[in-house]
Amino acid sequence: MRKFLIQIALFILIGLVIAEVASRFFVFTSDIPMRTVNTNQIQKYVPDQQGYWKMKSHKWQVNHLGWPGPLPDSYDNLVTVIGDSFIENFMNPDSCHQSVLLKKEMPNLNFMEAARSGVSLIEAFEIKKELDTLNPKYQLIYASDSDFEESIAQIHPMSDVTQFNLKTNQIAYGKLKSPGLKKILYNWKFVFYLYRRFSSDLSFNDVQASHSEKSDVKDDIPKYRELIDFIHNNYVADNVIIVLKPNTNPIFQNLLSEYEIKFMVLDDTKDKSWSFDYDAHWTCYGHERASLQVSDYLRKYKK
Amino acid sequence: MLFNSIDFAIFLPIVFVLYWFLTNRNLKLQNLLIVIASYIFYGWWDWRFLSLIVFSTIVDFTIGNLLKNEVRVNFRKIYLWISIIVNLGFLGFFKYYNFFIDSFTEVFSFFGGEISVNSLNIILPVGISFYTFQTLSYTIDVYRKQLEPTKDIIAFSAFVSFFPQLVAGPIERATNLLPQFYKRRTFDYNLAIDGLRQILWGLFKKVVIADNCAEYANQIFNNSNDFSGSTLFIGALCFTFQIYGDFSGYSDIAIGTSRLFGFNLKQNFAFPYFSRDIAEFWRRWHISLSTWFRDYLYIPLGGSRGSLLKKIRNIFIIFIVSGFWHGANWTFIVWGFLNALYFLPLMLMNKNRVNTNLVAESRIFASFREIGQMTITFLLTVLAWVFFRAKDVSHAFSYLDGMFSSSLFHVPEVFDSNVFFLVLGFMVVEWFGRSNKYAIESIFKVPKIGRWAFYFLLIALMFIYTGKEQEFIYFQF
Repeated sequence: MRKFLIQIALFILIGLVIAEVASRFFVFTSDIPMRTVNTNQIQKYVPDQQGYWKMKSHKWQVNHLGWPGPLPDSYDNLVTVIGDSFIENFMNPDSCHQSVLLKKEMPNLNFMEAARSGVSLIEAFEIKKELDTLNPKYQLIYASDSDFEESIAQIHPMSDVTQFNLKTNQIAYGKLKSPGLKKILYNWKFVFYLYRRFSSDLSFNDVQASHSEKSDVKDDIPKYRELIDFIHNNYVADNVIIVLKPNTNPIFQNLLSEYEIKFMVLDDTKDKSWSFDYDAHWTCYGHERASLQVSDYLRKYKK
Repeated sequence: MLFNSIDFAIFLPIVFVLYWFLTNRNLKLQNLLIVIASYIFYGWWDWRFLSLIVFSTIVDFTIGNLLKNEVRVNFRKIYLWISIIVNLGFLGFFKYYNFFIDSFTEVFSFFGGEISVNSLNIILPVGISFYTFQTLSYTIDVYRKQLEPTKDIIAFSAFVSFFPQLVAGPIERATNLLPQFYKRRTFDYNLAIDGLRQILWGLFKKVVIADNCAEYANQIFNNSNDFSGSTLFIGALCFTFQIYGDFSGYSDIAIGTSRLFGFNLKQNFAFPYFSRDIAEFWRRWHISLSTWFRDYLYIPLGGSRGSLLKKIRNIFIIFIVSGFWHGANWTFIVWGFLNALYFLPLMLMNKNRVNTNLVAESRIFASFREIGQMTITFLLTVLAWVFFRAKDVSHAFSYLDGMFSSSLFHVPEVFDSNVFFLVLGFMVVEWFGRSNKYAIESIFKVPKIGRWAFYFLLIALMFIYTGKEQEFIYFQF
């Protein structure tokens, strides 16, 4: 038995070393940037990082302000682009970022992105508040249904996401979730690859899924109204434009209208798919189409 | 619990450690652990159906002991029939009730009658066909006085529910497996290593060969009207390799897992696609089922003795029943019938036991004659698998009609060179390993570095070519 266990251990060990070397060489999984929390309680990425998207398809970079994508040459005539993983956009090369595409359409303006996966609507406004110091001309906040839902602790409680607590009427800042474990997982590339590939097979995921069924937006309208009311009273300035992703629930549009918060809704109904086959995020094409609609809106808005 | 699941990858080492480190000094405790582990393994799918296994176990254990003390022939027959009725009754209800109701209704309406009998929404308990046959073999062997009935209910429960082969075989005979539960098992390094190797090969067959072929077989069979004859032929080929990789892979994992626990199960597949005639194919495909039917149905019916008519009758009965065992659908019956038709000329010409040795024995390559024989047998098998895979008999005929059309020689719409080379490489390994119990059994002769490199290659291929996870086909039987 001793010999058997030693042989098994040795086999696994050698296997893990070979797999780790192969995972790093072929980049089986995308490099994941490390996060940090700044003094304003905003989760950002550790500045000046770079890494590869899986299979080395392209390189991503985090700029020295801690946001993914390139920074503008100048902060004059600045438009900030705030959002979640759609805007963070690690899955596409830099040339497909909203800021780059918008700049192409509107060369007189400078665009700067401030995005991170998991940003809720309320956190986007917190980021907006921080970026106010740059005196932007416009602040674009890209949002979808889930960003509204994840903004309210009483609807979708999440400890790692900044949320609005309806009971205390205060912001509860998101905490970094298991940072130590994540550091190990992201650096042990093969284990991360296994995790990404097979975690959905684990039975407990089904249990989690069944517990987190989404509630009906209609039932929670009063809660959403409280959220929008809070945003309206604490953040909204004339330069904020919310860019709602396609198919956003009309209830949210109505609430924004009610509070006279400016918004536009992206439309992909008469177009081919904006998303990857295997992922809901936008492809380069999707980003390009979105940027065209946003720039059209901005042009009209400027007039 | 599927063998190719994370659940099983966690379950197996836990049971292994408990088995060899906690219960190894007490045979009863070790057997009890196997029973508990087997029930967890089965209950993972649906714990409610555990009651069927437990009931079957109690019935056959009791009848076995009643048979031991009973000398009166009539009473012995009654006991035997109780076991047969209980076991086949469960099987008949869960597996065939709806089939008989639907067929009866159709026949009635065919003759102009009108009858309304509701079919039931019945879930087929996983593996019921396998453990039913296993327990039946015990009672029949005890009845025939070929086996001493056991007084050890735990050992018997372990025999009935032994988790490696519970849900998809091999169907073990009590004469082979049950005595292994009476003896103290000591850890055997070579047996365990061999077991792991066979598990690895079985997983490769399932995850790489079967699941990748399944994607194309499903796509082509589910949309057969949209494809040319050549593509339909590829679909049939894909299913041919899918079912082999799937089922023989399962058997390899089952046998390998048993070896880890010190048990020896019988070989279930012996490279059937290298058979030179259909009789040889049936000696090499699902051996545990073929021999079960041979010993408990074919021979009692008279086998190959008696008049010509009786011989022919027996051949058709055994093949059709074998087909029907696979599922409650006319497709399986036609599949069995077709195989009987293939087999019949060999039997009539008394050539059904010509090819009993290994093809190209002690040679690397087969002769042209052997290649021709293997090709014909293989193609006949491919044709029969169309019935096995089709959703109903008319679908099978329309599939074959499409396949044997002028478009058979068109460029196929669906062809994946990766899958082609995987299957080709797999068959080459199988060919060179055909004298073993499983293809890579004799790799232990290769120096360790080469051996391990090959294992790592198989594992890497499993990661790279993991197809969309498919349930083992034979779970439904």
